Amino acid sequence: MSTALLAGLLAAVLAAAYLGFALLALSQDRHWHHLGGARHCPPRLVLPLRVAGYLLLLAGFVLAIVRDGPSFGTLLWVTALSVAAFALVCTLTWRAHWLRPLARLLQGFAA
Amino acid sequence: MEPTFRQSLNWLHTWAGVVIGPLLFLVFWTGTVCVFDKEIDRWMIPQTRLIYDGTPVSADRLLAEQRKLPPRQAPWAMVMPNERDPFAWIAYRTPTGFDRKFYDPVGLKLLPDAETWAATRFFFPLHYSLHINAWDIGLWLVGLAGMAMLALSVSGVIIHRKIFADFFTLRRSRQPQRALLDLHNTAGTLGFVFYVAMAFSGLAIFAATYYPSGWMAGFKGSQQAYFTEAYDNYFRPPQKKPAAPVASLDAMVEAATKAWDGLPPFMVRIWLDGDASAFVEVRPSIEGDLAMRTDPFYFDAATGALLHRSTTRPVTGLQQYLVGLHFVQFRHWTLRWVYFALGLLGSLLIATGFLFWGESRRKAHEAAGLGGVRFVEGLAAGSTAGLVVATLAFFVANRLLPSGATFLGGARYELEIWVFFAAWLATFAHGWLRRGQAWIELCWIAAALAAAAVLLNALTTGGHLARTVAQGQWAVAGMDLVLLAGAAAAAVTAFRLQRRKVAYKNGRLVRQGHEGVSS
Repeated sequence: MSTALLAGLLAAVLAAAYLGFALLALSQDRHWHHLGGARHCPPRLVLPLRVAGYLLLLAGFVLAIVRDGPSFGTLLWVTALSVAAFALVCTLTWRAHWLRPLARLLQGFAA
Repeated sequence: MEPTFRQSLNWLHTWAGVVIGPLLFLVFWTGTVCVFDKEIDRWMIPQTRLIYDGTPVSADRLLAEQRKLPPRQAPWAMVMPNERDPFAWIAYRTPTGFDRKFYDPVGLKLLPDAETWAATRFFFPLHYSLHINAWDIGLWLVGLAGMAMLALSVSGVIIHRKIFADFFTLRRSRQPQRALLDLHNTAGTLGFVFYVAMAFSGLAIFAATYYPSGWMAGFKGSQQAYFTEAYDNYFRPPQKKPAAPVASLDAMVEAATKAWDGLPPFMVRIWLDGDASAFVEVRPSIEGDLAMRTDPFYFDAATGALLHRSTTRPVTGLQQYLVGLHFVQFRHWTLRWVYFALGLLGSLLIATGFLFWGESRRKAHEAAGLGGVRFVEGLAAGSTAGLVVATLAFFVANRLLPSGATFLGGARYELEIWVFFAAWLATFAHGWLRRGQAWIELCWIAAALAAAAVLLNALTTGGHLARTVAQGQWAVAGMDLVLLAGAAAAAVTAFRLQRRKVAYKNGRLVRQGHEGVSS
């Protein structure tokens, strides 16, 4: 596998985990509200957000296996989940406005 | 006993945390440092800052070099170069421990001895045995810390009231107590799998020590018999007769390499060297696989005939998987950095837990006139930030002490270790004396030491960043960059703590009753 492909897959694993966690966070009232939505996350959006979130986490697993094979891939995925979740928590705490476009997009779906 | 299950576990979590906290932080911090053990070795042992291009080193030529050294006790081993250890080395067990000689991988020229224990011999044993070898006390203490880590992880999940609701929540509170608890919870939740995996696999490494009943019952009390069976080791008794010359080691290595599908050798060891029973053990490289498999080949030293090929037992295979997971000696730079980051997160977890204990009791204890809080505050500063300062002092001492330095009978490598422990002890004293200022000052000291280490490295070895990056010396460059990042982080922390303290003093900051996520 070429270096560029390896780097791309790594970025994809992290991005999938980060985005997956972002959707899971947005399905919670607190973060939905915090990112400019109404007081509660619309009930008909909660389940789709969670399903999509978990699917993205799963997609990260598949990408990690493709990149590194079953043994290193599993370890990479599990640890990348921690890193991505921590990155998301930091974003929500100190740079929440970075996630506003995503939140606005989802609000469009809810309307 | 507390009235409810959750309160009981809260009690356990609190007191196990406070009592084991300093030890746990030591184990976690040194473990984090050891993720980059070989890179620290390169930085601290400048004569080994070489670049290895992957050309195999001839074991026969290394044997010829070994024969030039004064005779020593067998067994001894030759370790082949790899990317992270770019030199061949010959290792001996001596009555007092361990000795090694380095050779450059191209010309097999003998390199000057290491005058430091660096990471592989200082931080690594500190991580698993605290350098207390009598009766395995250090090993048992670290085992206790590992068990405590598992108990703290489980009880932490149970006493965390809203683990899913608060999963992504870190409040920007100005109230230290709240901020510390939130940081502790977040670091704990997000790195949970890693901490449990590390504590469990750490215990599994020394399973034969911690859980001896298995081999005591199954192997009539002989640990050696258990190891022979579990790892399929080979041994034969000496004949007490002089040996024939050693046959071609390269041919043995080649035979083994072929059987491993081209995996390069990691180590060639001669057992009973000089005896007619002498035999050669060849082990494959452990870089390619997560599981740390040994699977050695054994050859007759005189004839080169294959004596035995080890096969890993399934249970041993599982144990070796856990060992490999813990040791990170495989070649995977992404995982190495992730381990380092998660190790830092774990250190943060332990430090914030410790600080929260003090912060949440400070008022009550002061009101009750208890002196204990002062003691615990000094202990907290010394055992967390103090250890970081001691680590940095160790690096600075390594670059400042001249070659061949001795003091009060201590060799150079011992002086470095003295500096480490002296600096560490001093931070406890500092924590008790300069209460209230201790953290700010420790942060400034850490920033200064980290910056000084980078500067001294450039001055004493000429390996400044511009040069190491240009030459592709990523071990040294990476170490410098991490030190600089650490210095910046420590300086920012010190500055912020200082500013907050001034703000408190001027009464501009009032404790806030209500805190939202965005406050």
